[in-house]
Amino acid sequence: MPLFKKRGTTRGAPTRLFYACDIHGSEPTYRKFLNAAKFYEIDTLIFGGDLMGKLLVPIVRDAGGGYRARLQGQNHHITSDAEMAQFKKVLQTLGFYWQEMDPEEYRSYEGNQGRIDELFDVLAKDRLAEWVALAEERLKGTHVRVLLCGGNDDTDQVLTALDETAQDRVVSAENRVVPIDDEHVVVTVGYSTPTPWETPRERSEEEIADVIGKVMADVPDPSRAIFNFHCPPLDSGLDTCLKLDASVWPPTPVIVNGQPIYYGAGSRSVADALTEYQPTVGIHGHIHESRGVTNYGRTLALNPGSEYGEGVLRGLIVTIRGGDVVGHQFTSG
Amino acid sequence: MAEAVAPQVFTRRASGLVRVMSPYSAFIYNILTMGVIFPWTYLWAPTAFQGSNLVLGILFAFLFELPIALSYVWLATALPRSGGDYVFQSRVFGGGFGFTVVFAFFVVWILQWVALSGWLLATLGLAPTFIGLGVTTGIDGFTSFGTWCASTNGIIIISIINALLAMVLLVTGFKNYVRFQYVMWYAILISFGIVLLLFLFTNPGSAHGKLDGFAASVDGVKGFFATAKSAAATAGVNFNPPFWLFGTLMVAPIAWTSLQWATYSVEQGGEIKNAHVFRNQLFIIVGSLATVAALLIVLALALSKGFGQDGIMVASSGYWYGVGEATIGGNVLFPNFIAMGLTGSWLIVLLIGFGFILNSFQIVCNCYIGTTRIMVAQGLDGLLPDWFARVHPKWKTPLNAHIAYFIAALPVIYGFNKIGSWTRWTLGVTFANGAVMVLSALAAALLPYRAKQLYEASPGAQYKIGGFPMVTVFGILGFLLGGFMVVSFLFVKDLGLAFSNDALPYWIVVGTAAFGLLVYLVMKSVQSSKGIKVEYAFQEIPPE
Repeated sequence: MPLFKKRGTTRGAPTRLFYACDIHGSEPTYRKFLNAAKFYEIDTLIFGGDLMGKLLVPIVRDAGGGYRARLQGQNHHITSDAEMAQFKKVLQTLGFYWQEMDPEEYRSYEGNQGRIDELFDVLAKDRLAEWVALAEERLKGTHVRVLLCGGNDDTDQVLTALDETAQDRVVSAENRVVPIDDEHVVVTVGYSTPTPWETPRERSEEEIADVIGKVMADVPDPSRAIFNFHCPPLDSGLDTCLKLDASVWPPTPVIVNGQPIYYGAGSRSVADALTEYQPTVGIHGHIHESRGVTNYGRTLALNPGSEYGEGVLRGLIVTIRGGDVVGHQFTSG
Repeated sequence: MAEAVAPQVFTRRASGLVRVMSPYSAFIYNILTMGVIFPWTYLWAPTAFQGSNLVLGILFAFLFELPIALSYVWLATALPRSGGDYVFQSRVFGGGFGFTVVFAFFVVWILQWVALSGWLLATLGLAPTFIGLGVTTGIDGFTSFGTWCASTNGIIIISIINALLAMVLLVTGFKNYVRFQYVMWYAILISFGIVLLLFLFTNPGSAHGKLDGFAASVDGVKGFFATAKSAAATAGVNFNPPFWLFGTLMVAPIAWTSLQWATYSVEQGGEIKNAHVFRNQLFIIVGSLATVAALLIVLALALSKGFGQDGIMVASSGYWYGVGEATIGGNVLFPNFIAMGLTGSWLIVLLIGFGFILNSFQIVCNCYIGTTRIMVAQGLDGLLPDWFARVHPKWKTPLNAHIAYFIAALPVIYGFNKIGSWTRWTLGVTFANGAVMVLSALAAALLPYRAKQLYEASPGAQYKIGGFPMVTVFGILGFLLGGFMVVSFLFVKDLGLAFSNDALPYWIVVGTAAFGLLVYLVMKSVQSSKGIKVEYAFQEIPPE
């Protein structure tokens, strides 16, 4: 055994990854994500989950031929095509969906959460299919591929758009092992542990550990793997958020002695996997306010956070070579 | 026929972002940061600009700061994240400029405020309180301890303990600070209220007589006020100066050293609930500004009513001209100290002192809270080693940044109190801090043009004046009016850098800026060797 052999000394150009997550339907943020390939000179774009938006704005016709809508606590009266275009542009930036409707149709949705969820799924799936087509168009003729997956906030119904749309540059990465160069693979798991919000794709720690174990069975060398796990590791500083009382809706902060309580909302299974497998790097999202970096042995774990609502693409450039991180950079594009 | 409906948005089950600091807490935070109980305006302006009108000067400062504060409202709602001024300037002007300005003129220069807060705690909080207790209870030990608190070694030891305690409080959880802030808030309100009442329910003749008795108890002197007034006149104080408009305008930069901090909550914008909501930021920033301006004016009126214009001039001469006869127990006649001299009650002394002690402690907390969040943002952007950005896994706070700031403050505390020329070398502090805020106002003016999409998605985008973005109008106004005060710090002899008739303070300002630029260039080079361009942290990717 060569005594002085350094790990990861493979020569050649490093591979540059760009990672972002939690854009929640924001159109300009997604477009920036695609353009990051050229802008940052990236080889592979990796998305870490939570594609779907959270709000749907009904734009309701009124008696005068205009429209009424409510946004950010303010009522809007839209009376011209130009105003409508500007209003929709703001909604796109914020990651909201919209539907023009008559008052009767609007009333048919009021209080009917089942119908509202169906409408969300239809609009979100349409937008995701458009996004896949846009990625194919923008990355055509380049060597860059984009790995897309869901997070805990995305529904399985909407994520079917990833597999249904013809793909060359876009890879549906969920629960798969995707090679990105001659050495490295990306392993993707989009689930999170249970949250107070009862989101669509939450799993128990045991279920997450089981999924990770199954996917890792196909990885020949864990030290050359990039863990694209939506949920950050537990108590890592990448998962810090307020503890919430789930017995009310919407959940409210747990107050003790007049003060809110912080805690780690990440996954023990993810932390254990980072410790056990010692991959090249762990890239995570889920907790928007917990941007940061930490270590699990030799493995760097990172969360770039998210500010999709302002049209800002929080991201992360990671340069890797021979199973090691050469450098990393948080971005705010 | 369609009828008018006021539609509500539809939601689904999805996770949400929750933050810890309420707008009310942030409002209190700004008020405490402005330091309503601190006396500079009353001690500095009357003799430095004889003939100035304090009330008018404070009003000018409020009006000059108002467009700056309003432009921060737009910035804070468009970019509600921690690291405030650094984030605003780096996103609008670019990383090299934003890092250099905010690192050099905030992170480095605010070290001076760490030392100053220790000095305030010792000389404005502990010393007057224990001297006052000694007089009212007759216990000499209190008086001796109060006198020690105002000694050089006493101030240094108190300053280090002050900085250490604040660090421990803050690193063990920001919630601990938020909880303690309410104690400080109510204690300071009580303290300030008592000071006001003591001045409002007396008259100058009676107050001067009581102060004579107070000085006799502390220093054993007789006829204190008459002696002090005579010494002040000898030192150059004109007790009947004609009204001076320019002098009154120059009161504004002095009052601005308090009022400019109305925007300081933006440094932890990422921790304020609903920080993107326009009316919340109006309340936090403009509301706190208006409140403190009003309180400063009320205190000026109360001082004038209860202690008289002569009394204000005498107190000011002890501070500005160093007239020893106008001090008691070696302490300058700060408004709280005078108030203590007007009461014979140890309980009132204690209540006044407690408020001032806590506000002094709060200032050092502000220094840590603002600068560590800036350092974390800079660390995450790759412009400081990412050691600074590490969050402690148990306490969830940036422990390393706090430790680094505490260690950096130690030599500043020593220099501030032990090196006679230190305060002359560091005359640039008012200029440096003010320059950051003025440049952020300029960033606000340019926001619609340099970060178009970000601006258009912000709630302030709907407000326009004659087709121009309102933020641009306020930003330009703020830049010009704030610029007037910043330039005054540069060139008006009794305000700042020009005071010493020496080029060294100017070179120190240039030196700190050069240091900031050097750190930027070194970090840029280090990151480049890893294949990383630091510019990527700030450049907006075109969506199309």
